[in-house]
Amino acid sequence: MPYPPPPRTPSGPRRRSLLASAAGAALLVGCSSGGGSTEEGSAGSPSVVERARARAARDSQGLIERYDAVLAAYPTLAERVGPLRAEAVRHAEAFGETVATASPTASPTASPASPSPSATVPGTERDALAGLAAAERALADRRAKTLLDVPGELARLLASVAAAGAAHAFLLTEGVS
Amino acid sequence: MSDENEEALEALQKALAAEHAAVYGYGVVGGRIREGRRAEAKAAYDAHRARRDTLVRQVKDLGGTPVAASAAYALPFPVPDSAAAVRLAAELEDRIAGVYSDLVRAAEGGRRGTAAEALREAAVRAVRWRGESVAFPGLAERAATASPTMSPTG
Repeated sequence: MPYPPPPRTPSGPRRRSLLASAAGAALLVGCSSGGGSTEEGSAGSPSVVERARARAARDSQGLIERYDAVLAAYPTLAERVGPLRAEAVRHAEAFGETVATASPTASPTASPASPSPSATVPGTERDALAGLAAAERALADRRAKTLLDVPGELARLLASVAAAGAAHAFLLTEGVS
Repeated sequence: MSDENEEALEALQKALAAEHAAVYGYGVVGGRIREGRRAEAKAAYDAHRARRDTLVRQVKDLGGTPVAASAAYALPFPVPDSAAAVRLAAELEDRIAGVYSDLVRAAEGGRRGTAAEALREAAVRAVRWRGESVAFPGLAERAATASPTMSPTG
């Protein structure tokens, strides 16, 4: 489609604000209008929604445990990795999980009984970060599929959290060192 | 047209309007950003053009008339230098993330999948520009601080 070149500058009503168009205003209003619970009651089976939510919360919880294991092994990564872990906690909470808000530098002995694969931390900081990034990316990919089969409000949340996960993966591997 | 398609069409049009603005905005970014980040800005510009074209097709598929770009847009703040250009780029991506999260909610199937993908790309570009992440890209109601409201000019 033809696209008008920017330099031709008219005056008056054709000139719109870049960030506060009518659509932008509607966006802010729209966010508060659709109550998630009512939609989930009508547009999708509650059990499907509940299962998807519980699964998403567990997934975020698993990610938090990975972060904790890495932080326990490499406390010097706290500054870089701590904020990402904090966001993962907010994700788990958004999906309905009550997360024990241990500080990022918490002792690793919290759950010594579970020999989950996430408990093994790679031998170098670099590999540990790469492992976290891979986990974030894999989970974001999985959520991208899940969101296709759930009602709109939960899909929107999943899409946002998946996007955050992809952004985390970027920061863990290519971001500022 | 079903209610569902109507909702999807409205969300598609809003996303398209935002992509038009982003393409324009990245034109400004490209003119001000320092040499070292110019390729990144160009890549983002191209990505938004591609997304815009996809949305135009999707609007037509639903029987709509794609919203046109404005000839010019008022910038949210002056962009005299590279630092401001980077800030503008990050703002543009935030805005884009917002419209795609709404499109995810309104659309289903392939359109929803594409919107989620676009949201993800916008979130990653936003952290590239900004150097830090936000917990819920595109969800203004969960943002720690509301983004400043820009008033239209003219």
